[in-house]
Amino acid sequence: MAAPNPTNVDQTTPTRPLIEVKNVTKFFGPVVALTGVSMTVNAREVHCLLGDNGAGKSTLIKTLSGVYQPSEGEILIDGAPVHFANPRAALDRGVATVFQDLAMIPLLSVTRNFFMGREPAKRKGPFAFIDMKHADEITREQMHKIGIDIRDPQQAVGTLSGGERQCVAIARAVYFGAKVLILDEPTSALGVAQTSMVLKYVRQVRARGLGVIFITHNVRHAYAVGDRFTVLNRGRTMGTFAKSEITLDGLQTMMAGDKELQDLAELEGTI
Amino acid sequence: MADTLAPDKTAQPDKILQKARDERMKSQNRWRKFLQHPEFGALAGVILVFVFFGITAGDSGMFAADGVLNWTTVSAQLILIACAAALLMIGGEFDLSVGSMIGFAGMMIAIPMVYFGWSALASTAFAFVGAMAVGFLNGWIVVRTRLPSFIVTLASLYILRGLTIALSIVFSNRTIVSGVKEAAGDSIIPALFAGIAFRPLFVWFSDIGFVDKLADGTPAVQGVPAVILWALGLAFIAHVVLTRTRVGNWIFAAGGDANAARNVGVPVTRVKIALFMFTAFCATVYATNQIFEFGSAASDRGLLKEFEAIIAAVIGGCLLTGGYGSIVGACFGALIFGVVQMGILFTGVPNDWFRVFLGAMLLTAVLFNNMIRRRVTGER
Amino acid sequence: MKSGLVRRLFLGAALALPMLGGAAVAQADDPLYVFVSHSPDSDSWWNVIKNALKDAAKDFHVRVEFRNPPNGDLADMARIIEQATAQKPAGIISTIADYSVLESPLKAAIAKGIPVITVNSGTAEESKKLGALMHIGQPEYDAGKGAGARAKAAGVTKFLCVNHYITNNASVERCQGYADGLGVKLADQMVDSGMDPTDVYNRVKAYLTAHPDTDGILTLGPNSADPVIKLLRDTKSASKYKSFISFDLDADISNAIKDGTMESAIDQQPYLQGYLPVAFRVQYVQFGVIPANNVNTGPGFVTKANISLVEKYAGEYR
Repeated sequence: MAAPNPTNVDQTTPTRPLIEVKNVTKFFGPVVALTGVSMTVNAREVHCLLGDNGAGKSTLIKTLSGVYQPSEGEILIDGAPVHFANPRAALDRGVATVFQDLAMIPLLSVTRNFFMGREPAKRKGPFAFIDMKHADEITREQMHKIGIDIRDPQQAVGTLSGGERQCVAIARAVYFGAKVLILDEPTSALGVAQTSMVLKYVRQVRARGLGVIFITHNVRHAYAVGDRFTVLNRGRTMGTFAKSEITLDGLQTMMAGDKELQDLAELEGTI
Repeated sequence: MADTLAPDKTAQPDKILQKARDERMKSQNRWRKFLQHPEFGALAGVILVFVFFGITAGDSGMFAADGVLNWTTVSAQLILIACAAALLMIGGEFDLSVGSMIGFAGMMIAIPMVYFGWSALASTAFAFVGAMAVGFLNGWIVVRTRLPSFIVTLASLYILRGLTIALSIVFSNRTIVSGVKEAAGDSIIPALFAGIAFRPLFVWFSDIGFVDKLADGTPAVQGVPAVILWALGLAFIAHVVLTRTRVGNWIFAAGGDANAARNVGVPVTRVKIALFMFTAFCATVYATNQIFEFGSAASDRGLLKEFEAIIAAVIGGCLLTGGYGSIVGACFGALIFGVVQMGILFTGVPNDWFRVFLGAMLLTAVLFNNMIRRRVTGER
Repeated sequence: MKSGLVRRLFLGAALALPMLGGAAVAQADDPLYVFVSHSPDSDSWWNVIKNALKDAAKDFHVRVEFRNPPNGDLADMARIIEQATAQKPAGIISTIADYSVLESPLKAAIAKGIPVITVNSGTAEESKKLGALMHIGQPEYDAGKGAGARAKAAGVTKFLCVNHYITNNASVERCQGYADGLGVKLADQMVDSGMDPTDVYNRVKAYLTAHPDTDGILTLGPNSADPVIKLLRDTKSASKYKSFISFDLDADISNAIKDGTMESAIDQQPYLQGYLPVAFRVQYVQFGVIPANNVNTGPGFVTKANISLVEKYAGEYR
């Protein structure tokens, strides 16, 4: 299987993980949100982070993306320890996060959202004018690549469906040079068709050479797209498994804990 | 770029989806695009208002040259602060202290000129610097404390108004500080802010009968007042900045979702503080124009003008919740407000009912604008 | 969209009808006189003038419109005068609340050929400088001085001047005149009471408590007088004040004069300030006659002795 030309990462297959989390612990006052969490993400891999609500997924994400700083432990990028003082710093190092609110402003056009904070500028004297034509072209091109055919990139983002907006947010991160893409529950609010659209795009992104951390509590979605899986429970990692090492049911069991699932099995259905 | 991994079983359903979506979306021709601009509703409101006064006050002098000058001047003054209010509202904040700033800036110009012998240039520069410092303070407090700007600027409203009254009594023992024209001497500043432009053009107009002549031969309208030029200039700059520059996109972003904007690196704090400084700047332009037109500063200047600015912005299509709006719309809103305010007097409505009619007409204009906007953008 | 639009247009037309109807009743081709005052909407004193204008309009078969800047902002007043000028009425009657602000619009009106008569605020000299036909009013400073002289005769040494419309310069001249008539410095014996009756009541109470040796009070109109009358009655301290004089009249003030709470009221006889300008203008148009100089409508001092007629019409015509 020939790998397509990645634009974001080295041509040679890297031996080091793109990003490595080593024994990260996070306190909020007396509350311990994360205890000794470790995981790695390689290039051209989708690493799913699973856990029920309250497991510590969102704290871990915020720590990786620079919103929080770890109380203990370290984060390594390309083998070197890094310290993200704020989200901008993480972004500059190629760690892009798509939060659940998508950072999309519904009333603004797709182009304006796509280039928010990084608008292409033409300088005329002291004024920086947006090169809107160029921005529109690129937006249309990028949307087309994802498979979204928007007639007019100046239309409001609010006119796109939830799944399309998710893809625009991901495309934005990829376009601006993300190496590690963190997706926070991208499919949790979507219907079936839109979920498949997003998952399809995630596979495309992986093929381009990025490493993707896919956070979800839906095991089916995770299993459809993931290469490796880490389960979080109450702030601890319960283990990391490659797809070949675990089944869908096994993951489900691990997430829910044996006891709860036994009760559910009595309903004679699957979740 | 093809996905070369395992064949995608969802390819066929995708095509069906695409076709379905195409059917649901009508193609947008250029006319419809024009209608969807936020300004269109406000423009429709302007037309409605002119039609109304054309019918009820057509021959009352409202559309003679000096009648036009009357409501154009009122609208132009409002445009000065409505543009600033619109930009700030789009950026997600309110400034209720604009009216008090007008009074306060006026005192900052008049008192040094009349009681300390400063030149017009020095006093005016002092007023601009001082006002923008207050604007900075407003913005800084709002951003730091995360208190609603409504509350912070309400406090500024009282403080500035109180200072204006107190300082004028301290220096002049009255609530008006007069003598500004005399203190200005030959400075060009009065002409710059309150002069009249294009005089020769209007002399020609009166010769060809386009404008009436007075008994002494001078034209009834002598020219275009400076305030109109300032208003158009500021509106133009604000519009270009908002729609065509990076900063403009940041303003939309800061108002639409400040958190999201911050997360992608938009300097939200700096943008908001700059917007508060801009409203202070515009309030000072307003005050300077008034000072040099009337030759005095008074402690009640600008009273309640901040609400007029906000109303003009809202009529013009700016959302109170931020992230959406237009400067051109705000200018139309200010025009509506000025025409209605003066137009009611031309129609001869009993004075006691003035405020009732003003409020009713504004409400109608906003509803009309809202209705047009919703129909045309397909909002539900 | 069409049905909504049509509905809106009908609404607009509905708004227009009362205006057209109202104009029809007043006989739209009668000459129009515009009376521009500087008062904010909340100032009730102008009610007498409004009634006088209505009477004059009826008696002389003309239209008279009363206009004022809603918040009392003189810059707005200037615009109203400009607007009236554009309408080209038969005459403009205006107060000179501040000469430098109103100079330009009033002169422009005169230059356009609209005769102007000034009333109420402003001095005779200012009126002449403008080129107005005449001035009908009460000189503020002199009225205050007259009151001060009366207070001095009653033995007052320390006073309180309750100013409820401090943003109008004329108000300060009244207090200043009073101080000069009394022979003392104004200093901080003038208090900004605001217009709201509760504010007036509380601020005056605070002042009198802090300055217990005050023995004279001057209030500048019903807005400041009525709450003070109530205060003196509530605290039963009316007898403490050797002189309590107010400008202008209303029902409360006339009752206070009758029962001795107040010594006198300064009546600038505002009815004349509304009626006379219209009367003079119309007679000038008809017969070419007009008084050769200004008319001082006040100060007339209303005391217990001459109060009965006042009582009958307080707040309406007196």
